[in-house]
Order: sequence, then structure tokens, then C-alpha cells
Amino acid sequence: MIEPPTTVLEARQVTKTYPGDIRAVAGVDLSLERGQLLALAGSSGCGKTTMLKLINRLEETSGGSILYEGQDIATLDPVVLRRSMGWVMQGDGLFPHYTVAGNVAIVPRLLGWDEAAVTARVREMLELVRLDYAEFAGRYPDALSGGQRQRVGFARALAGKPDLLLMDEPFGALDPITRDGLQQDFMALQTQLGFSTLMVTHDMAEALIMADRVAVMRDGLIVQSGTPGELLKSPADDYVAALLETPRRQMRRIAELEA
Amino acid sequence: MSENFAERWAELPNLLSGHVLLSLAAIIVGMAISVPLGIYAASRPRLAGSVLNIAGVIQTIPGLALLALMVPLLGGMIGYWPAFLALMLYSILPILRNTIVGLQGVDAGVREAARGLGMTASQRLWRVELPLSLPVIVAGLRTSVVWVVGSATLATLVGASSLGNYIFAGLQTRNWLSVLFGCVFAAGLAIVFDQMIRLLELAARTRRRGLAGGVGVALALVVGLSVVPAMIPASSPAAVSATSESRASTGPATLAGQTIRIGAKAFTEQYILAALMQDVLEDAGATVERRDNLGSTIAFDALRSGEIDVYVDYTGTIWATVMQREHAAERHLMLAEMTAWLHQRDGILTLGRLGFENAYGFAMTRARAAELGVTSLADLGPLAGELTIGGDPEVFARSEWIGARDTYGLGAMQTRAMDSTFMYGAVRDGQVDLISAYTTDGRIAAYDLVLLDDPAHILPPYDAVILLSPRAAALPGLAEALGPLVGAIDGDAMRGANRRVDLDHQTPIQAAAWLADQIGDQ
Repeated sequence: MIEPPTTVLEARQVTKTYPGDIRAVAGVDLSLERGQLLALAGSSGCGKTTMLKLINRLEETSGGSILYEGQDIATLDPVVLRRSMGWVMQGDGLFPHYTVAGNVAIVPRLLGWDEAAVTARVREMLELVRLDYAEFAGRYPDALSGGQRQRVGFARALAGKPDLLLMDEPFGALDPITRDGLQQDFMALQTQLGFSTLMVTHDMAEALIMADRVAVMRDGLIVQSGTPGELLKSPADDYVAALLETPRRQMRRIAELEA
Repeated sequence: MSENFAERWAELPNLLSGHVLLSLAAIIVGMAISVPLGIYAASRPRLAGSVLNIAGVIQTIPGLALLALMVPLLGGMIGYWPAFLALMLYSILPILRNTIVGLQGVDAGVREAARGLGMTASQRLWRVELPLSLPVIVAGLRTSVVWVVGSATLATLVGASSLGNYIFAGLQTRNWLSVLFGCVFAAGLAIVFDQMIRLLELAARTRRRGLAGGVGVALALVVGLSVVPAMIPASSPAAVSATSESRASTGPATLAGQTIRIGAKAFTEQYILAALMQDVLEDAGATVERRDNLGSTIAFDALRSGEIDVYVDYTGTIWATVMQREHAAERHLMLAEMTAWLHQRDGILTLGRLGFENAYGFAMTRARAAELGVTSLADLGPLAGELTIGGDPEVFARSEWIGARDTYGLGAMQTRAMDSTFMYGAVRDGQVDLISAYTTDGRIAAYDLVLLDDPAHILPPYDAVILLSPRAAALPGLAEALGPLVGAIDGDAMRGANRRVDLDHQTPIQAAAWLADQIGDQ
């Protein structure tokens, strides 16, 4: 029996240039190990969302290569590639004319599963994201709260049993209590199902709490990559240090108040 | 009044079905063109701009002009096809525009989600983009439906049967009940279609199959009820079939099995003469179809191309507008030359003079003429700057007015174009000083108008003649059947018949029956 490669995703010197010589991504190397969560952190406009979209080919690379399960994605059909990856986008991107069940069933249906399997999968996914099937399956997205919509977004992204989940600011639009609950639930879900995740976020605290490894991006380049502990111990430059300072200061202030 | 209502009611199946078939076909074909075009153009901004501009230009052409343009474009063809083509073009813009706007308005996040989840281009279109833009597309469709059903009333003028027949014939014969019939049914039809489309969209959006089915059945019922009665021969007007049955035994049925199409221009005298010829031909066993309310030159083109078989025109009209002669000729020479010319060029047979003349003349009230001391057009020259003349829209472009204006120095006169129905009342009430009257109109005598002399003989003679298409000319029995009308209707008889419709509110069919009695008495 051949062991599957331990590296799910690998980016080698990836660049993306837009007309007018605008370099959004300027030579990025990344690697994501199976079952792990890699956070791509940085402030707005650093190129992290573009990098994410290069992976499921919503955008095409200008240079370098991306390997998914050992295969160069440029050689794969983009439609097939996207169906094999989960995708949780900024906002929630739910289809307003589909019910909750209809939204969750999209990828299994695109993959051609039979209806019994689709229904069973929808039920299973809603339970996993802790939404009661009887109560929520028939609702439309406009009858859900922000947290409930994002739970449906996770269920939809994972319904096709992807090996890799791509997430773009998935908790960005939520209030702090909802965000915290959902982050905990998500980590439990990843432990349970064993998929790998690449998450884009501008919130350093979120990256430190959730990620196995954090890659910090600035002006289209990775400036530092390591475990949360490594980053906290020795930030590579002032930019990384500044990003880490915000959660640190908040922690200190709370500790002082509690004392 | 009740007889008027019965006659109008009897016309309904034919006109309603014509209207429904015309507008439905135009909308369905228009939609089949504009929705795919809109889908194709929505993702190509430059193309979208160009097609919207082209459709916008078509839309700014007045409906009547677009209809009229289709006749020469189709080589003189009148009836259903030019009307269909114009209305179809007319329906495109709102649907096309809303398809493009609706698709472009789909939320960018939803669009990206559809791609990111692995939908193909056609899956994105059918499962996400079209369903989400459906309300906007349907709004465009509803605008189109209201426009097309309304504009289809104008199809009457190019010879297609529609509810506009009520409106135009009613306007010309001052039959307001008929105008009301046309308005009520055309507006009602537009409202019914509009609401049914609204309900269909609601059913699609809320996935209510019961509602969709119910509306579908109702729509089929409306279309069926409008179209089917016209296809059952028993529904032909009861009054007409009764009279033709009673006379059928007297005439030799030499035209049995033949279908003859009679044309009529859009004024009272033409309706009466068409009704009279219909009576005569049905007596001879023919099946008659009517093409009423044709524009003046459209009627001639239709005869030439064989779309109609017979109609009444006037020597001066043919002379000026068809033969393009600038100067009038003596009446017998004009008739002889016209007869030869039409036969040689188009194979059209001029059957002969009916016996009366319906010329253009210039008329004033007797009181106003006395006040100004005017008896002839030559007297008007010095007064021209202070006078206003009313006339139908056609006359001011015709050689009669241009000739009279240039010869008698009337260029300073103010001109006001209006429908011929209203000009007699306008001169009677002093809103204009003189009008371009039709000399057979019953209102000349009734309103005490005087016709001004034409000492320079600018106004050509307008003898009414029956013209037959080449096909009709070759039909044995047709010329014989119509023969008794030649020379049988003098000016007084025609004025009397016109007066019965214009002033006494009889229908053209009643007036034709009266005229037939006059002929029989002679």
C-alpha cells in the first residue's frame, strides 16, 4: 500500500501580475501538510486573497507552479479541481434562491451522487455544523442569522468530502461571541474529519489561535512562516512584530484588569 | 344603437383573434431573439452597448412609421407579415435591456461562489444567473407585452386584422361605440396578459406548481377563446349572412367557390362602397374577405401585388401619386390614359366610373365667405397671411395643395393638419377659416359650407373607379357581377349614404343597404 504524500499543497515561486504591471503576488512559496491548518495572514492588499484564488484557479498564475496532491494544477480541468476543494468565501456566498439543504447539496449534486446519498449527506453535514435539520433544511438564507449562514457555508464547502478547504476571512463578518463559538466548532470539525485547511485572515489573534502554521504576507511576498510559537518568540521584522503586538496588548490589558 | 352594438359584437371574434395571434407571435419570436442575445451580450460590455443602441433606435421609430416601413421592405406585401415583423422588432428592446441589466446585476459574491464551487458556465447560467435575474427579465417582458398589444391596434393600417379596426373605422365614421370597443378590448387584453405573466413569475419564484398550472390553463383558455370562435364559420356576422341568404337565390352564382378580397381605405365612403361590393359579390356566390383601413398608397400596392382583388380609388389620386403626373388633365383624357397605363404596367383592370366624383376642394362656411367677400381660390391670395387652413395630414404633401398654394399665392396661410373626421367641425366652429374638404362629404351641405371655385383648374378630377387586380381581372364573372355598379352612383346618392353614417350614426352596412336600394330604384 502506497502512503499518500504528506504534503497536500505546495506553491513554488508563484507570481500574479495584473495589466499595468501590478504585482499582487511576487514569488510565493507555501506548503501545507495533511490535516493541518495553515493561516495566510497580513493586512489588506498584501495579496493573500489573490494567492488563495490562484489555488482553485479562480485566477490564473503568471508564473511559478502550484502542486495539489502532487499534481500541477495547471494540468487539471479547473471545474474538476474546484469540485475537489472546499471553498468558503468572504461574506457567505450562499445562493439566495436555494434553501439551506439546496445550498449544502450543490457540490454532491455536481459530483453526480444519487439523491438518497445527497439527502443523507446534507443531513449529516447540518448535524456536524450543529444546525437542526428539521428546523433549518427548508429555510432560505435570508431567514438565517450571520452565524447560521456561515455554518451553512462550512457545511456546503465540506459536503463534497474535499481533502483541502480554502477559506477567505470566514469569520470576518461575525460578532465576537459568535466568532469564538464558530472557531471552536470549526477546529473540532477539522480534528474529526481530518481535512487540510488554508485560511486567509487579517486577524492575527485568529491565526495564532487556530493555525498549526502561520505565513505572514506583505506586498505579495511571504515575510515569515512558522508555528505560532516561533512567530511569537522571534518575529522576523518590525511588520510581523507590529501585527503580533495588537493581540499581545489586548491580552496584557485584560490580565491587568483581572488582577 | 343596439344594432350598432350587435354589428360590433359580431366583428369581435375575427378582430380579437387577429389581435391575439399577431401580438402573441410577435412577443414569442421577439423573446426567442432577445433573451439569447441578451445572455450573449451581458458578459460582453461593448457588444451590449451596441445592441442596446440599435434596439433603442428601433424603439424610437414611431410604431405607425415602423409598420408602414415594413410594407415596402416586404415588396408591397400587406397584412399579417409586415405587422408581425414590425411588432416583433418593437418587442425586442425591453426584453433585451432587462436581460442584460438583470444578468449584470447578479451579486458578484454569488457569481464567484458559483465558480468556486465548480459549476460550469452553463450550470452557472441556468442554476444561478437566470433564476436570480428572472424578476428583472419578466419585468421587461411585461413592458413588451403592454407595448405590443397596444401597438397591434396600428396593424389595421397595413391590412392586418386587429382591434384597431374598431378604432380607425370608428374614428372615420364618428362611431364612438366602435372606438370604445377597440379601446376596451385592447386594454383588457393587455391587462390580462400582463397579470398572467406576473402570476407565472410568482409561481416560478415560489415554486408553486399549482399556481403555475392554473395560470397556464387560464392563459390557454383566453387564447383559445379569442382564437377558436373565429375559425368556426357559423360565427360570421348574423345580420350579413341573413341578408345574403335572402338574396342568394336571385343572383347567378357564377363566383361560387371563389374567395374575393375587398380593400378599403380609411374613410366612410370607402367602408360603404366595400360593404356594397361585398353584398353584390356574396350574392354572386363568392366568399368575401375584407381588408379595411388601408393607407392610401398601401391599398394600391396591395392590389398590384394581389394581396387584395378589388377596391375603389379615384382618378386624380392615381394620376398624382402612382403615375407621378404634375399637371392635371381633362377628365375623359385622364381616365383613358390612366386605364391604359395601369393595364400596361401592372395588369390592373379599371372597371369604370361609379358615377360620382370625390375631389379635393377647399370649403368655407357660407357666412365667413360672405364676410371676406370670397367666392374663388383666386380671392384668397391677398388675405392669405390672416387665414388658417385645416386639412388631413396627407393633403399638405399632395400636388393639389402645393399647386393651389403656388398658383394662388397661399404660401402665407397657416396650415393645421388633423384627422379628416374633425376638420368639418373645426371650420364650422371657426377654429380654422377653411378646410380641404372631400366633395362628397355629407357635412358640406349639413354645415352650410361652400366650395371655392378653382379658375386655374389646378385641382384634378377625382372620379371614383373600381380597380381589379390582375388575378381578379382574369376571374370569369367578377367584372360582370360588379358591372351594374358602374355609372350607378351619382354624387347625391354618395353624399346621402355618407351622411347617413357621418351624421345619422348608421353603420356602413346600413348605409350600403340604403345605397343598394337607390341603385335598384333607378
